[in-house]
Amino acid sequence: MRPSFFHHLHPPTIPAAQARWRHTLSAGGTAVFLMLILGVTGVLEMFYYIPNPEEAALSVQTITYHVPFGGFIRNLHYWSAQLLLIVSAIHLLRVVFTAAYASPRRFNYLLGLGLFILAIMLDFTGYILRWDVDICWPLTTGTNLLKTIPFIGNFFFRIAVGGGEACETALLRLYTWHIFGLTIPLVIIGIWHAFRVRRDGGIAVPPPALRSDKARLPRNELVRREVLMLFIVGILLILLSTFVPAPIAPAMIGKPSPDAETRAPWFFLWVQQMLKWGDPFIFGVLIPFGILVILALIPYIFPKPADSDIGTWFPKSNRLAQIVVSIIALIVIMLTLMTFIP
Amino acid sequence: MKKLLTVASGLLLLTLLFLWWWNARAPKPIELIPTLTGQPEYCLTCHADVPEISPSHPTETFGCVSCHGGERLALDADLAHSTMRGGANPSDLSVVEASCGGSNCHSGSEADDRHHIQRVITSIQSTYAGAISNIRFTFGAQTDLSAHFGIHAVTDEQTQTGFTSLAKFDLFNESNPNIQKFGENCLTCHINATPREGDAYARQTGCSACHSVGNHTYTTAIPYTQCNACHNRGNYDLRTMTFTERTDQPTSRLADYYQPIAQFTQCEYTLDCIDCHTRSEVMGDGDIHANQKDIQYVQCKTCHGTLTELPLTKTLTDPNDIAFTLAFLNPIIDLKLGDTILITEKGEPLWNIRLLPDGTYEMIGKATRQYFTFRPVMGTACEQNPAEQESRYCHECHAVEH
Repeated sequence: MRPSFFHHLHPPTIPAAQARWRHTLSAGGTAVFLMLILGVTGVLEMFYYIPNPEEAALSVQTITYHVPFGGFIRNLHYWSAQLLLIVSAIHLLRVVFTAAYASPRRFNYLLGLGLFILAIMLDFTGYILRWDVDICWPLTTGTNLLKTIPFIGNFFFRIAVGGGEACETALLRLYTWHIFGLTIPLVIIGIWHAFRVRRDGGIAVPPPALRSDKARLPRNELVRREVLMLFIVGILLILLSTFVPAPIAPAMIGKPSPDAETRAPWFFLWVQQMLKWGDPFIFGVLIPFGILVILALIPYIFPKPADSDIGTWFPKSNRLAQIVVSIIALIVIMLTLMTFIP
Repeated sequence: MKKLLTVASGLLLLTLLFLWWWNARAPKPIELIPTLTGQPEYCLTCHADVPEISPSHPTETFGCVSCHGGERLALDADLAHSTMRGGANPSDLSVVEASCGGSNCHSGSEADDRHHIQRVITSIQSTYAGAISNIRFTFGAQTDLSAHFGIHAVTDEQTQTGFTSLAKFDLFNESNPNIQKFGENCLTCHINATPREGDAYARQTGCSACHSVGNHTYTTAIPYTQCNACHNRGNYDLRTMTFTERTDQPTSRLADYYQPIAQFTQCEYTLDCIDCHTRSEVMGDGDIHANQKDIQYVQCKTCHGTLTELPLTKTLTDPNDIAFTLAFLNPIIDLKLGDTILITEKGEPLWNIRLLPDGTYEMIGKATRQYFTFRPVMGTACEQNPAEQESRYCHECHAVEH
């Protein structure tokens, strides 16, 4: 049988050892699936969403309560976005912990990191598009961080927010960033990332001579596994979206009162925790940026993993990268948890 | 693997069916587009059984949100209620301007008689200015009885009484222990103060304190029981500066009134309070007053006259006369052009009292719709000294003993 379009997206065969769920954790595939859901549900939301400060929150309420299945679609969009960040982080950890970033995949590692950052920015702008009372202080805090960058901070702020106060003028700009400015690069880089996976020789494996398990799987089997995962994630998403509604708050009329929500969205809580400690430029910009630089440099300045170790869990030859990334992950988790301590 | 896929696709299908069923069982939203706002609201989805608040505020015109606030589109109770003004009472004086105000509603001009909110917030009913100044004067904190403080700060830029503002009475600035006790125990009265806890103190604030007679019903036909929610709920003890809440349920208007030494004539415990006391007395006249006695002025003679004078009357010749508006709001009497009604010395209409051709008067109870007739004092055998015509002198002979 001639392979279908979807089968054709996959290599004819892949190494069985690296096709196991316990190797990939299905993170990359799930991320693609979540992005597809986000695209479809996002377009559906665009039919009703009004990017106008007076009407935005009301249009979100219309979507949530009055459009048939609108609340479900919005919940699906929300939960897919949150899961996407988690799945992307897991994917990043998997790549580091299995030494899959090694050459020739160094550049694709950077593309992946770029996708992760885009996903975070998309999640933040999406959160802001609610334009209800709970988004104003996090938006103000977040965008004011840009201003703390010496020399070019104000320029960045104007690019991100436009002129004026964030809570008053930023909606249309952030909407455009969300729908076009971030999504289009995400799609392009996403396709590039997938293309590079194939171009770099498929999933990371040791060279043929060093492989202990030489078995290979046909792509039909791979697609079946992917579809199974897609069904499982789909069921989980449907249940989550049915029972756990996405956050919503009263429409913002003027500036919200000081007792409105001041907590950042969950994925920025770790930065918010550091902001309590002092200079916003150091803790809010420099340290997060430094972490990003360290992550980006892993394939370039850390010891090169042994060829036989590529595609195996926790190999000795890239121990340093594992330790550094683990420490970063633990710090981020700890800082996040610290924000829940009164 | 194929088996697993079959099971998973079956489960996915089941989940989708479940989702369909879950959505189908949600209540169907009930939309209301009030003509005043033109904006859809969905409060009736849950609150379809709430009665219309008054014929003057038809639901199809006002809806719910223009008074109550709230998130009009939300179908989740928590979100929908989160921005309601004044909780369940949008007439609380802290939010009344947003809920009931507006130049075409209740914060319009005095000339249009639409300055209701200004009247209420400056009235003794909400400032408590008289009691505060009396207590401060008594215990040496001020040298005269003029009003300086209210329960809340209030201003009157077009004052007719000389009082342009009252500052908020702040216990922090008072040193006398009696004033302290007064502040702690006696400031929970009056419609601008948060009520004390406990059933005996159950009352509402703002407009609702008087006009809401329960179950989302507003009226100008306010029965005496509504007044008694505040005015007959216990007694204060000036020696200890405490308030003793009454524990019984009053049954006899004459015997169960809270001030045992007070004397009452028959009309005072037969009629409703609003049958005699006028709008400006009860709701204020828009000016800050120093004391209750400065605003309360209706006497027995207002309706009954004296031996030498008949009560003041006015023949209705203007179809826009306020008397017609008031009779329209509480349609107990068919007032017509040419009718002669009683008026007070300040010119306020006693629109439920009409002169009959034989020189007597008919009166219809504003809350009870009871029909009464009475005659003037002039021409009777009343032996009262013409110079002593205040009500307390009438009580000498006409009080009913119990």
